[in-house]
Amino acid sequence: MPTASPFPKYSNRRFPNALTSTWLSLLALSLATALLTLLSAPPELVGAGILILALIKARVILARYLDLAESPAWLCGFTMVLTGFSVVIFALYLI
Amino acid sequence: MSDASLIDELPGELLMWVLIISELLVFGVGLIAFMAVRLTDPVGFAEAQSHLYRTGAAFNTAVLVTSGYLAAQALHWRRAARRGVARLALIGAALLGVVFLIIKGAEYAGKAAQGITFETHPFFLFYYLLTGFHAAHVLAGVGILLLVSWRDDPRNIEAGAQFWHMVDLVWIMLFPVIYLLG
Repeated sequence: MPTASPFPKYSNRRFPNALTSTWLSLLALSLATALLTLLSAPPELVGAGILILALIKARVILARYLDLAESPAWLCGFTMVLTGFSVVIFALYLI
Repeated sequence: MSDASLIDELPGELLMWVLIISELLVFGVGLIAFMAVRLTDPVGFAEAQSHLYRTGAAFNTAVLVTSGYLAAQALHWRRAARRGVARLALIGAALLGVVFLIIKGAEYAGKAAQGITFETHPFFLFYYLLTGFHAAHVLAGVGILLLVSWRDDPRNIEAGAQFWHMVDLVWIMLFPVIYLLG
């Protein structure tokens, strides 16, 4: 008979490799942001790219470090609000 | 799904999520206000932004992301009853927080040496308010990480790590808006 976890509210999916791959992906996304700023592309495109990368990083932190991957409704809610925020910021940037 | 079960889905303490959502809203409104005021003088904002130390800020992103990783690992190790290594990871996360503050301090000192203050341009008013308020959270987070490395119950570490990830999350959204969208 399986024994109950002593921490029933805690995540069961925190494995070192998953955390390490999350960390490496965040570093890679940060590097991509830095490289994007070096491109001689139209500023609107660069701005959109920078905000999209920031949005992806934020979602990774929410899902993997703050454990919202186990609470899809909350992750979806946070993602929608952050996406709305990014759209407002981009709209103000374009005006 | 009832409201109660939806709230129960949140990992960790509910109050910590209330804090996280509150902080994200405060910084979010601050950044939207920053972009709105930018409309009054986009050329002046771009010129002011060119005085910022982008490389240092980008490096600080990597510092905070790495620090968050150590905090997440600490919780994993503590749950696996590896208290010693969990404590070291928390202390390492706190030290990286100090590195962030040192780089931020050097950035502020550089601005002061150039005679740049709150009053130089509206850009710098927002810059100092938003990055300074965030730096205050980093300072608080360093203290919290050290506290939970001492009082290392897994629930304490989870709450401390959640606060630290919130600080990380705020920086992830603040950095591109203040430093990159010129």
